Amino acid sequence: MNELTQRQLNHLGELIQVGSSEASRALSTWLNKQVSVRVDQLEQATLETAVEQLGPGADVVCACCMRFSGGINGQLLLAFDDASGLLLCDMLLARERASQEWQELEISAAMETTNIVGCAFLNSLSQIFPQSTALPPSSAETTGTTWIPTPPVFVRDYAAAIMQFALMDQASHFDTVLLAHAKFTIDDTPVKWQLMLVPDAEVLAHLARMIE
Amino acid sequence: MNPNGDNEGQWVKMAEIGVMQQQGAMRTLLGSCIGIALYDRKLKLLGLAHIVLPDSAGRTQTLGKYADSAIPETIRRMTMLTGGAKLSLTAKIAGGANMFVQVSPNNGNTIGEQNLQAVEKALALGNIPIIGRHVGGTSGRRMVVDVVTGTVQIHIVGQTTVQI
Repeated sequence: MNELTQRQLNHLGELIQVGSSEASRALSTWLNKQVSVRVDQLEQATLETAVEQLGPGADVVCACCMRFSGGINGQLLLAFDDASGLLLCDMLLARERASQEWQELEISAAMETTNIVGCAFLNSLSQIFPQSTALPPSSAETTGTTWIPTPPVFVRDYAAAIMQFALMDQASHFDTVLLAHAKFTIDDTPVKWQLMLVPDAEVLAHLARMIE
Repeated sequence: MNPNGDNEGQWVKMAEIGVMQQQGAMRTLLGSCIGIALYDRKLKLLGLAHIVLPDSAGRTQTLGKYADSAIPETIRRMTMLTGGAKLSLTAKIAGGANMFVQVSPNNGNTIGEQNLQAVEKALALGNIPIIGRHVGGTSGRRMVVDVVTGTVQIHIVGQTTVQI
């Protein structure tokens, strides 16, 4: 059983919103601007629908991915189109001229931003989910309540291909997938960055029990 | 004109199967999924399946989603399109990438590898030779198949297009 009830979804959404508040604070400090990260969707969808979450499948997008394990295993993706991602780099590097392409420095800036957002998000969630909610020891990656993220990895690829990867663990077990989707504003202006939290399949039933 | 406003061919989305004869092209986007192009050169008949997972485990819905059910279903639809002709099929396959290999859980074969093995097994069961392949790696692929020639073009972001 992987389907959460609407009440469970709402409760989980509230918990995740706390994480996004922490991510907002961290990113505001990092960019020295007023940044808001808001979870606008927490949904269960068919794989075929969910794979379009980053936009039309043939669009080329950039994504930084972190895998996390411990309390809840899964993946966190920060994704953006070229222009929006390079805008982030220009802000960080205080460049007057707009960056035109992804080079080592730009990729590093994007990955470090993902690291900051992701760790703030996950640290906050690890405080919310108490020790009793940790996955059972049978989980190969479970290490107690300490959530351990991997360093981010950067790719520039088709949106559909990236989403296939992110959702595949859930899809291999269930007919629907659960994902949390956040959007960003900087100084009240929307930017085309997208943050996605995708828990692994094995934690879904556990999540349902946690928030009954 | 397809929904994306270009003329590269009809999209076959995740878990879908497309069949076509005589003229046109079909395409699909692949990460860890596998695209299977079945082709009868004499009949200029093409079937394209976008499989997501290796094993249907007896499921009877969304037959195009699984390697073991997608291939028989594609052949069935191709046969229907010709009014029951006997088919002489070859296969070309693409996909099965591991996009973020550095952060993938280390718990055996990746989904991409499992998909590939399942596709090879299902094609062998049907005595369908694989005459072209572009699989594995860490990049997504856009697979475009021409129904007139049976050629498959593989587009990878930032790389030269490959023909198989």
